[in-house]
Amino acid sequence: MTQAFLIVVRILLLVLLGYWGYRLWTGTISWTSRGVAAVFVGALAWQIIGGGL
Amino acid sequence: MRKFMTLLWLEYRRSWVWGAALIGSLAFWAWGLNQVSASDIGEQLGIRAGLLFFAAGLGALVLCFMIGRIRSETRQGQYQILLLTPPTGYVHVAARYLFAFAVAAVYFMGIGGLAWWIVGSTGLVLNAGTVAQLVLVCPFYLLGLVLIPLLSWTLLLMIFVSAYRISGSGWIPGTVMVLGSPFVLNWYGDWLFHISYTLPGWRLFETVRALVESTPWAAEIDTSGVTALVLPQEPLWGMLLLAVVMLVIAGRIWQEVEG
Repeated sequence: MTQAFLIVVRILLLVLLGYWGYRLWTGTISWTSRGVAAVFVGALAWQIIGGGL
Repeated sequence: MRKFMTLLWLEYRRSWVWGAALIGSLAFWAWGLNQVSASDIGEQLGIRAGLLFFAAGLGALVLCFMIGRIRSETRQGQYQILLLTPPTGYVHVAARYLFAFAVAAVYFMGIGGLAWWIVGSTGLVLNAGTVAQLVLVCPFYLLGLVLIPLLSWTLLLMIFVSAYRISGSGWIPGTVMVLGSPFVLNWYGDWLFHISYTLPGWRLFETVRALVESTPWAAEIDTSGVTALVLPQEPLWGMLLLAVVMLVIAGRIWQEVEG
């Protein structure tokens, strides 16, 4: 039960992060900003998938 | 160069009150340190050292606020009007950073000077080399390790957020960067920790034990724990490299958005 709950929470977090990633990719004209956004979104995604969060 | 000097002058005009207040606050801290009265020398030193660390932390916070004020000027476009032709983002970032660094260097050397004063007030007479290490080497090591990267990070954060101001989603890049930075820094810090002491360390305060043993109160304390401090070089170079990379990225973003 707890394991299933954590999986659902992580999926929801990944969906939220995906939406933020989309907004960060489309919300600027700067490619460098997109690169910076990709690094931090990637770090957060890695933590969510790897179980750090 | 003319543009850089003009921006530096503008930075001074905008932020001199912040800098003067911060450096002037050293007088307050000196007064506060002077108020500490404890019969035990170790306790007195501990309280005063704590106050100094608090002053250093507060100073770092004020400097971050000072360097992070971006939104108003990018909206008003005052630099472009002033210089007729828009200077590059790198020049903006360099001028802003240099002013903040200069204020930080003076402030933290002042903190080092206060540390010298509180050590001297215990009756410990330091030689010239030890004083230089306390007032110059230690503050600049801490500046390079903590404050210089922190100021770069703050500048990058504010410029990164300002790159999204047209789309109105400023809180998303801010949140993502603030939440993601500790993890990225943790990975980088682990690597720096792993490679520490690969190069020869810097030995500081090698003569301090002999100096302590020459004081009248040396018999009251255990001096066996008073040893030289060996600082690793690698974290300092690594954090300075990180600071430069963040500044270059910040300048590039400014160039792409404002240029």
